[in-house]
Amino acid sequence: MTDYLELRVDKFIFKVIADRLYSEEGLWAMQEDRHVRIGISDYLQQRSGDVAFAEIKPEGTELTVGDEIAVIETIKVNISLTSPIAGKIIEVNPMMGTSPDVINRDPYGTGWLAMIDITGNEPSLMHLLEARAYYSKIKLEAEQEINKK
Amino acid sequence: MTDVDQKRKVVIVPCSGIGKTYGSVSREAAYNVTEDLRPDNTRLIALSKLVLGEDEARSVVAGNPAITIDGCKLACATKMVQESGGIIAQDYAVLEVYRRYKQFKPLGIVKLNEGGVQLAQALANEIVRVVDELTTGKGEDSNG
Repeated sequence: MTDYLELRVDKFIFKVIADRLYSEEGLWAMQEDRHVRIGISDYLQQRSGDVAFAEIKPEGTELTVGDEIAVIETIKVNISLTSPIAGKIIEVNPMMGTSPDVINRDPYGTGWLAMIDITGNEPSLMHLLEARAYYSKIKLEAEQEINKK
Repeated sequence: MTDVDQKRKVVIVPCSGIGKTYGSVSREAAYNVTEDLRPDNTRLIALSKLVLGEDEARSVVAGNPAITIDGCKLACATKMVQESGGIIAQDYAVLEVYRRYKQFKPLGIVKLNEGGVQLAQALANEIVRVVDELTTGKGEDSNG
């Protein structure tokens, strides 16, 4: 069974799945042998709104940490997402072209963005946040925003 | 009541979301259809009237095929038509329509940008084809 940390803020519930790492920006990374699957956290997808389009960099793209990996257009904003890890994109979720709203429906599952080969870049995961640390970060952020209202 | 009034009309129910771009697109498309493209065969029903349970609005919805246009995934227009006893001939979600017309990016609320106006027109043209199918039994080009 998958464990989640649940953050309740106002009328919202944000889930942070416990089995992967997170960038400050809100992308998750889950290592699968020599590859790392990348996606968007529930917090980021809920904050961003319904996804209209998702353009992921094509397979074969070499990335360093901080390079743009995707541009997501939602009903609220256009966001440029940066890669949380270094490596080469070896697979892009085909649903991003046809049903990008899967990001909203299942951000930790079928809504993944890309698979990255990290061969030779193993240390690049070390700067990422554990689920608990990411949870604390978004909790603080959400509470500060609520207190502004 | 005139013959035209008595004729079976297609009810158009757009999103009531004020202050939302996609809601504005839904209403703009509904106005295009009911006021300009097919005024004789359609009737606009404000979602708020269904929410308030106004008898006439509920009666019209219950007695005619409906086309709903939702501005977000809450799908209030579709749900309220169903709750009012209406039969939905076609439901549209503006976001899904936008995915078909990526070149028309809607912005603005009180006043839609050019992309929003064009998206509303594209949606209106799609709706007209459904209206024509429902009222004449065949789809026609919106301009013809």
